[in-house]
This record gives sequence, C-alpha cells and structure tokens, in this order.
Amino acid sequence: MLDSLLALGGLVLLRDSVEWEGRSLLKALVKKSALCGEQVHILGCEVSEEEFREGFDSDINNRLVYHDFFRDPLNWSKTGEALPGGPLGALRAMCNRTDLGPVTIALDSLSWLLLHLPCTTLCQTLHTVSHQDSCPPGDGSPVGKVHVLGLLHEELHGPGPMGALSSLAQTEVTLGGIMGQASARILCRRPRQRPTDQTQWFSILPDFSLDLQEGPSIESQPHSDPHIPPVDPTAHLTFNLHLSKKEREARDNLTLPFQFSSEKQEALLRPRPSQATSHIFYEPDAYDDLDQEDPDDDLDI
Amino acid sequence: MAAVATCGGDAGSAGSAVATGSKSNVTSFQRRGPRASGTNDSGPRLVSITGTRPSVRNGQLLVSTGLPALDQLLGGGLAVGTVLLIEEDKYNIYSSLLFKYFLAEGIVNGHTLLVASANEDPANILQELPAPLLDDNCKKEFDEDVYNHKTPESNIKMKIAWRYQLLPKMEIGPVSSSRFGHYYDASKRIPQELIEASKWHGFFLPEKISSTLKVEPCSLTHGYIKLLQFIQNIIYEEGFDGSNPQKKQKNILRIGIQNLGSPLWGDDICCTENGDSSHSLTKFLYVLRGLLRTSLSVCIITMPTHLIQNKAVIAHITNLSDIVVGLESFIGSERETNPLYKDYHGLIHIRQIPRLNNLVCDESDVKDLGFKLKRKLFTIEWVQDNYLRQERNIYPPGFSYLLKQKDSAWGEGSLQHSTFLMSFLAKATAFASRLVRHSEPLKQTGSGRICQAAGPRLWHDGRRQEAPGLLGIPP
Repeated sequence: MLDSLLALGGLVLLRDSVEWEGRSLLKALVKKSALCGEQVHILGCEVSEEEFREGFDSDINNRLVYHDFFRDPLNWSKTGEALPGGPLGALRAMCNRTDLGPVTIALDSLSWLLLHLPCTTLCQTLHTVSHQDSCPPGDGSPVGKVHVLGLLHEELHGPGPMGALSSLAQTEVTLGGIMGQASARILCRRPRQRPTDQTQWFSILPDFSLDLQEGPSIESQPHSDPHIPPVDPTAHLTFNLHLSKKEREARDNLTLPFQFSSEKQEALLRPRPSQATSHIFYEPDAYDDLDQEDPDDDLDI
Repeated sequence: MAAVATCGGDAGSAGSAVATGSKSNVTSFQRRGPRASGTNDSGPRLVSITGTRPSVRNGQLLVSTGLPALDQLLGGGLAVGTVLLIEEDKYNIYSSLLFKYFLAEGIVNGHTLLVASANEDPANILQELPAPLLDDNCKKEFDEDVYNHKTPESNIKMKIAWRYQLLPKMEIGPVSSSRFGHYYDASKRIPQELIEASKWHGFFLPEKISSTLKVEPCSLTHGYIKLLQFIQNIIYEEGFDGSNPQKKQKNILRIGIQNLGSPLWGDDICCTENGDSSHSLTKFLYVLRGLLRTSLSVCIITMPTHLIQNKAVIAHITNLSDIVVGLESFIGSERETNPLYKDYHGLIHIRQIPRLNNLVCDESDVKDLGFKLKRKLFTIEWVQDNYLRQERNIYPPGFSYLLKQKDSAWGEGSLQHSTFLMSFLAKATAFASRLVRHSEPLKQTGSGRICQAAGPRLWHDGRRQEAPGLLGIPP
C-alpha cells in the first residue's frame, strides 16, 4: 500500500512526530518518484540542501530540482539567486507550469510553511497546485499527475490547521510504531467514496529505499474484539421482552375492543332494549346553577 | 414571501422531466360575474411557480429539498427565501449528496441554479448529479429496493382498530414527475440533455479572484464579497426580486454554496479560534439572508462545522440560518460497531427549524434519526425502528395491533409510528424502573410529565436524600 501511495495524485500529508521522524520516508518517496522518471521539485525550508541530498546517488541528485529557502529565507543577501516571492512564489510558479508530465513536489517541510504563511493562503495554493491535473489546458493534451508530498510535524500545530489540511489532503500517512518497528497508518480519501484506512509496517534502508514488512508478531491481532463483547440491548431489562409460543398464540387469538367485525356491527345496529333504562349520574359542580326553571320560559313565542 | 395559491400542476407531458408550469383550470375558486375576456390583465390570475406549493399549515410557499423524507421532517419543504445549512459529515460524502439532490430537484423542476464552490468547478458538480426516477421505470426499482429490506415475517397480517384504516396513508413510494418531491437514483448520472436544457450560473472562486492577492483590510473576506455581488447581480438581472417587470413566468432561483467557511474561501475560521476574519462568515450569512428574503430564491449551504474551532461561532451561524441539519457519519467512529446502528450509515440531526410567520415551529418529536445510503436511494428513518423490527414483541398485545399494520399510516417507518413508540417506550421504562426501585407506581397526574429528574432532593428538615438514579444502589 505504501508503494502505491503516489498512484492517486493530490496532496499527501506525512504526519510525523518526535519519536517517529518522517524525513526519511519523504526522501524514500522522492527517490521512488525520481526513479520513475518524474520531475521532482523540492522546497527545502527546514534543513540545508547538503543534508537533504545526503544519501542519494548522484543520478538521483541530478534529477532533483532543489529550491533552497533554508539558507536565506527572506532574501537578505540579495544575491538574486533566490526566487522572488519566497516559498509561496515558488509554489505559485509551479501552478502555471508549461511542461506536461507527472510532477512530484516535496515540501520540506509543510510545518515551516504553516508557521510562516497564513493558513488560508497556503491551503488555497496547495489546492491549486495539487488539482492542476483536473483542469486540462486548452489544447486537450493530457496533463500528468501532480503529487505534493508535505512533511507535517503534528506536535507543532493545533487542531485547527491540522484539521484544515487533513480535509484538503487526498492521503494522510501518520507515522508511528512499536518497539523500533515503524508503521504508517494510511488514510486514503477518494472523492466520492468511503475513506480507506490501512496500516503498513515498513523500514527504510540506508540507501533510502522502502522495505515493506509484516508487523511484529505480538500485536497482529486486533485488540478490540476480546475486550468488548457485542452489546445485547435486551439483556438486562426490568421487563420481559420475549414471548413464549403459548403467549404468542394467545396474543394472536385475541379480539380487540375496537375491532369492527361483522358481529359488532350488527350488535350496534340492532335496537338495544336496555337503552330505555339507562341512567345518567350527575354530580353538580360548585359553579353550577341548579335553577330548575327553564330560562326559555321567558320567551314570548 | 407571498402565499401563492396553487393549482394542481397537471403535467400533460408525463414523459418530460421538466414540468412546465401549466395553468390548469381545476380549482374550486371560480370567479363570478362578467369576466373580461381577451384582455390579459383582467383581475388576479392564478399563477403558480413550478415546483412549489403552499404549506398546508400557514400557506408559506415551499420548495422541495430533493429528498421527500427530509421535506417531511422540515414540515413540508423548504420555504422560499430561507437558508438551509447542512453541517457536513467528517469526510463530506453524504452532505455533498444532499447538495446534489437539491440541485437535481431544481433541474427537474426547471428552476434556475446558481452553484458556488471554491474547490470544484460547478460544471463538474452538475455532471455528477443523480438521475431522476420518473413514473414508469421508477416504481419497479423502488419496489425491489424496498423488498430486499423487508423482513420475512412482515407478511403476517396484522389486525388493527378499524378507525385507523381511514387515516391517510404516508407516501413512501415514488411519485409522478409533476408532483412536489422527486426521487433520484444515486447510482446513475443525470442525463446530459437535462443539464443543457436547464439554466445555471456557476461561481468558481479561483477563477473569480485574481492571483495577486492584495489583502485589503476589510470586514468581509474577499471571496465572500465577490460571491455576494455575484448573487446580487443574478437576482437583479433575472428579476427574481421583482425589479424587472417580468413578462415571462416567475421562477425560483436555487443557490447552492459548497464548503462555505473552509480555508479555500479565504476564511480562517477553521484554522484558528480568534482570527482576523472571525466575523466575516456571520456577516456573509446575514447579508445573504437579506438578499434571499427579498427575492424568490432558496439557498443550500454546506459547511464543515466539525473544523470550526470556536464553538461560539457555530452558535452564531445556527442562529443566522433558518434550517440547520447536521449529518454525522459512522465511518471511523466507534458507533460503527454498535448493534443499534448496524444498518445505518449515520445520524441526521435536525438542529433548527424556523418559525416563519408563526409562533411555533413544526419540530418533529423524533430525535434519533438515522440515514442510510442504499445502492440507489437515500433514506431517513428513526433508528429504533430497526431494532424493533427484530424485536416485534415489545408492545403489550393490544397496542401492537394498533400500531403495526402493513400499509397503513401507522406502519413502520412512518413518523406517527415513531413518535408514538418513543413516548410509549419512555413512559413504560420510567414506570417500570420506578416500580422496581420504589415498589410504588408513579402517581398518574395526567399532566403528561413522565420524568422525575434524579437530582438531589432536600427534605424540609434540610437532610439531603441521595439522588436515586435508574440503577438503585441497594441499602
């Protein structure tokens, strides 16, 4: 599953933490895209270029297009090398790219961008960059997929920006692990379908290639099932919900008081002899006027 | 919002999906006296706008939301000039489906559409609308869907008190294309010619805003201002507010705004608690409601409220909208394993219903409503109905006949049934549990109050008795 991460396109969030760092996974994915022949752009903001390129072979290093914003993020040295507009300008420039073909853009790191740029601007720019392939240019030629890999340190941000970026992302990879074995929980949101959630154990080899593994044998079983038995709502009630067979038959044979059967109809229509002797019991209220005279007697008719 | 007298729109073109507004002559109000024939402006004509009907309670003009079950929960439909706010579920699957049902209903009725979105091109949204189910082919599809769902013992013929046979039956089947609410097939796309025959306007935010953002300090986010201006232009130019004296037929404008409040609109209400533009969304809703109240339009907004950090803002937004419906899907939550919810995909919460020209609103008593998206249909039901379908013996014998009969107004799934069930169950359990705890029945005061709140009870001498909960601890 981890190796087909880049098949979907769009924004891929790599959420790491202090215990389980994600830069090596980012570099492994970058190496994979470079080997597939895609164009790779790196926005380096958090570590220096030498540190990022360390560990890659020379042919991969030649394929990477590195935009360095670590050494001089605000362009104070004014050498003219840095791109105008900072990292945001670089991202926007990638929005209007002229050459077609699959592209991978690695953001190292998205946390740095979140801390230095307003969240809404960043979200809008990321959305435009990652959705370029859905708007084909006028000549109708197919545009290659754009993959945006963002490294996000989840401990640095509050629930607001994290939630906003999660809702934008097509895939979210949360790094974790147990006892030295790293795992990636991959949440894949397809546009109109249910999201899929999988966990993949892996390790990164020294040359930054991915090694997919089976999980450690101890906890391959899911924990939840033995502990929580399925809830039976009818178990501990104070009234009885079940009917025995005899009770069920008795219920079926019951005649309802309001059931309008033919016997009842005849009984109603037949003149009843008992009606002449019906009594009316009346207890007067406190406010009742017990005047026996008929008030209509005064009328002169 | 005028209460418009309606005449039964008897569409002669049964096959055509777009119901034309034909003035039919079947009405009981005939004009007496000499009728000036030949002149068009002689006295009040009975006009009806297609796809609308007056509410049976107060004559308010209503349109359908596209889901007849939701219409019933909202008191008959959506009033013209109001805002329906849908609080999105976490992965925005079902709320976008409700959004599309609303737009598809507009196309089928011939209303003008205005679709606004910041993340998807409106043309793509319209391509993905569900196909309407019309008279001939819908009935068998609906039946096969419903049939798969019925349990095998539903063929027991239930007896019922004869008075209830005369009550009107609830519409659970598909209706003809000229009626108020339509059914849609969620697995098929709407035919292309229907989209082309309809009139729609799209607002796609990245196109309307220039990429060089000079952020002006303004109380409303730039995107919202643009959207409001767009809506106002459309309303004015096409005469939905009566400004251009319309020679042609009056029509309804259906506005759909997707994912309002998300960061893609430029609003940081989902990112921070106290941002710069924290009031911009509420101001937008206020101005939008003003625009809607003075025109023949109706609006649906989907909003990712689960992302909004400041809970007070959600309360403001709820107050500023007319109808608020919240969707909660079970994907990824622990409720997925709860046996009560096992047939449902999520819960639907009706959080607010407006009181338009009324002192009270038509709030339904049933609170636990669940929805499920079957292969073709989206249905809304009371959650306990599912549980009780399996456990039919919960009633005393007499009541079960009163309430459960096939093909009656009190059948399962109807709201009358559910409301009665709910109150009956609440009373029964409270009664029984009190009997168990105190060995004495509750005094039947007859005032309808059933719950004795388990709070601290102070006797006159100041000693406090322990609160008796439902699980009484034995002394």
